[in-house]
Amino acid sequence: MNKSIRMLYLTLAAGFGLLVLMLGYWQVIAAGGLDERADNPYKLEQQRLVDRGRIISADKKVLAESVAYREKGKKYYRRYYPQGSLASQVVGYATPEQGATGLEQFYNRYLAGSYGTGAILDRLRQETKDGADIRLTLDTRVQRTAEALLSGRKGAVVAIEPSTGKVLAVASSPTFDLNQVTTDFASIRKESDAPLLNRATGGLYPPGSTFKVVTTLAALGTGKWSPGSTFDDKGVYVVDGRPIYNSGRAKYGLHNLTDALTFSINTTFARIGDQMGGRKLGREMNRFGFARPVEIDLPAGEVAVSGRYRNGKILPNEQRDSDSARIAIGQENLQVTPLQMAMVAGAVANGGRMMRPYLVRRVITKDGVVVKQQRPDEVDSVSSAYIASEVGRMMQSVVSEGTGTEAGLAGLSVAGKTGTAETGDPNRNQAWFIGYAPARNPKVAVAVVIEDTSGTGGTQAAPVAGEVMRTALSIGPVPGEPTT
Amino acid sequence: MSLRLRELWFLVPALLLGLLGLAAGASARADELQAGPWQTGVGVAMVFIVMHAVLRLRAPLSDPYLVPLMAALTGIGLAMLYRIDPGLAGDQAIWVTLGGIVFCAVIVFMPDHRVLERYRYVIGLTAVLLLVATMVFGTEVNGSRLWIEIGGGQRVQPGELAKVLMVIFLAGYLREKREVLAIPTQRKLGLNLPAFRHLAPILVFWGAALAAVVVLTDFGTALLFFGVFLAMLYLATGRALYVGLGLGLFAAGSLFIWAAVPRIGVRIQSWLSPFDDVQGTGYQMVQSLYALADGGVLGPGFGRALLVTEGGTPRIPALETDFIFSAVSNDLGYVGAIGVMLLYVLLMARGFAIATAARDGFSKLLAGGLTAVVGLQAFIIIGGVVRLVPLTGVTLPFMSYGGSSVVVNFGIAALLLVISNRSRQGLVEAVRGVPAT
Repeated sequence: MNKSIRMLYLTLAAGFGLLVLMLGYWQVIAAGGLDERADNPYKLEQQRLVDRGRIISADKKVLAESVAYREKGKKYYRRYYPQGSLASQVVGYATPEQGATGLEQFYNRYLAGSYGTGAILDRLRQETKDGADIRLTLDTRVQRTAEALLSGRKGAVVAIEPSTGKVLAVASSPTFDLNQVTTDFASIRKESDAPLLNRATGGLYPPGSTFKVVTTLAALGTGKWSPGSTFDDKGVYVVDGRPIYNSGRAKYGLHNLTDALTFSINTTFARIGDQMGGRKLGREMNRFGFARPVEIDLPAGEVAVSGRYRNGKILPNEQRDSDSARIAIGQENLQVTPLQMAMVAGAVANGGRMMRPYLVRRVITKDGVVVKQQRPDEVDSVSSAYIASEVGRMMQSVVSEGTGTEAGLAGLSVAGKTGTAETGDPNRNQAWFIGYAPARNPKVAVAVVIEDTSGTGGTQAAPVAGEVMRTALSIGPVPGEPTT
Repeated sequence: MSLRLRELWFLVPALLLGLLGLAAGASARADELQAGPWQTGVGVAMVFIVMHAVLRLRAPLSDPYLVPLMAALTGIGLAMLYRIDPGLAGDQAIWVTLGGIVFCAVIVFMPDHRVLERYRYVIGLTAVLLLVATMVFGTEVNGSRLWIEIGGGQRVQPGELAKVLMVIFLAGYLREKREVLAIPTQRKLGLNLPAFRHLAPILVFWGAALAAVVVLTDFGTALLFFGVFLAMLYLATGRALYVGLGLGLFAAGSLFIWAAVPRIGVRIQSWLSPFDDVQGTGYQMVQSLYALADGGVLGPGFGRALLVTEGGTPRIPALETDFIFSAVSNDLGYVGAIGVMLLYVLLMARGFAIATAARDGFSKLLAGGLTAVVGLQAFIIIGGVVRLVPLTGVTLPFMSYGGSSVVVNFGIAALLLVISNRSRQGLVEAVRGVPAT
């Protein structure tokens, strides 16, 4: 029987060997990944012991900081948001109970001081570093203007610097007070208008006529059309037996492509889309980054993908059978984020080069050591500089004499495009404006969307865009590395 | 060096480990150097010293390593419980004292364990009655019907005792039947099998174990019973075929139950993919995995991990019982957890050494079975915690909070030491030419 006893012992001991291996997997190999999970209360609880870094705006306003307090003889830190609800969805929160969102989540590694090669050694020594500060591109003056204009309405504003991709403002209305997250999260969550949702990056809206900017760039890119190409509008364009009308059933007669953009003539863009075909238009959309997640320094779950949706799923841009006439005027289940449309406007402003948007320009320790420096980065070239400037001139005409006059700024040339996506209910239009200023040397590009309004993009969104751009231009150059 | 002096040499550092653990936990709690609940610690140490003294007097030739190993595990467990909730450590100290009394009683009143063989059927029947009583009068706690309420708000787990009684019964039964079970007399389905009437008990046991899963709604206890049964069957017959056959049957039955009993299905689901429902069914498992990840390689030390919220609630439900190993892994890290697992492996090594040294079939089976119970139980619960096997509600021997578990495990250790003492005594007497009793 002794042989059996020995075998049994070896079997059980081998079982414990497996336990050791499995435990090693959790404690060593998978540990890093588990620690970074947003719902891991241990990591966040550990962070109560860490002097977490500050989040500081471009104009040096503190948006988030850690305040020390003592409890049972132990020094803890809690998060305080001096600006309250300002940019709440972007800044995000970090609490042991609710997890982390926004920049607080995306830059957690830096804010909590667990970055760099030293982090592994620190892990072994069970030491934590002081967190590093993150310096934003976001300017509270632009942000505050945008939020004030949105207040009482549902909607979003994104403002970026076209030449770099620096994000100047990301406003989403309604907002919530970040300090209330720890005290009364339940009532924030209960609100019907979803204040936690970052509409600017995560809200999906039909783009309406703002999409015609994409169509125009694509059309000029083919060489078949130019701003002066003439069209004859009969008030209707029929595709597959279904008619497409102009807004208000208007008839424009003979006109050129610039007029078509200026007055947002649906039939002409439908015709262009139809002639270009779904695959060609889809390829152009690929260059603009549709149907692909936008690379921005926010948690993936808070940034929605723009493009065509079917049953809640994103479709590839290039589809043979798609109705390119309707896509060209922003219909056919197109759903886009304000961020994506701000990037479209920014690309036109920046000579056809679309820049990757970013919110954090540098990570810097409390001792002033720069840990990470963000440099402008091009996503893709959406058109030649010449075509972009032609489209820009057409967009200037939209603001100077077309549907976007409300966005005009005294003494400055503004380029833009309005959009009004109708839902069937006349009180529930989604009003859009995308554009940039000054037209000659663009410093700011914006996208504005106002939800559930009886007005149009021209009456509702354009004035907001104008004010936001005025503020952005009045603050002077964005600090940081010189723009090239 | 005499065996008992050797025991003392190992016992003292093992006890100091527990005392230091308590002090470290208390210091972490108060954020200044403190001795901690040294009265509790010294009290428990005294229990072990008394156990050592009783062994000196009544079982001087028993294995010298078992008690120090128990002391180390009990000490670490006590320190862990103290850091979770000081009240739990106080209770546990009482259970350890009770366990010590049972331990000494077994050593003193049962100098020869072989009397048990005579009463094997009575003992087996008692085990069955205990389980039936639990099924009938049991109270459901955390979805498992394992407890019986006794007076004063206390609960006992009869299954813990039934487990030992079953091992005693099986040792007796299998000693008697091992020859007929070991010799195949027929060939069916390509397998050499003994006569059906000898095989029948295996099938009955298989059915009973599965029934226990459904009635007690506890997969862990069933797995433990069946696992020990297979281990002892293997010890008795030396035929791995039975183990394979038995495991196959158990797996098949389990699959059926997985599909048929929703509660078990949920458990399996949360084992396979706990992250699917972090706030619901996967909560306990995920929180435990976070605790393991938090512990890392070295861990922050006794009482320094964030296992308990400020309000005093453990972050992992059932932390003091099923998940005590998560607490160890979190506080003491991978290194500390490996240390604890090594203690169990050493404990098994001593138990099986006692079985090997035993001079008759019943003693070998009894010692092997008892060791397998402890080892397998530790494996099942640690395996559940590290997600190697589905999570079940069995205790970690000597460490988990709970009177029934502590007392029974001390009893098991006492039985092993009696067997050990007996076999060496026989050896000594044989050398001296005195006929063995």
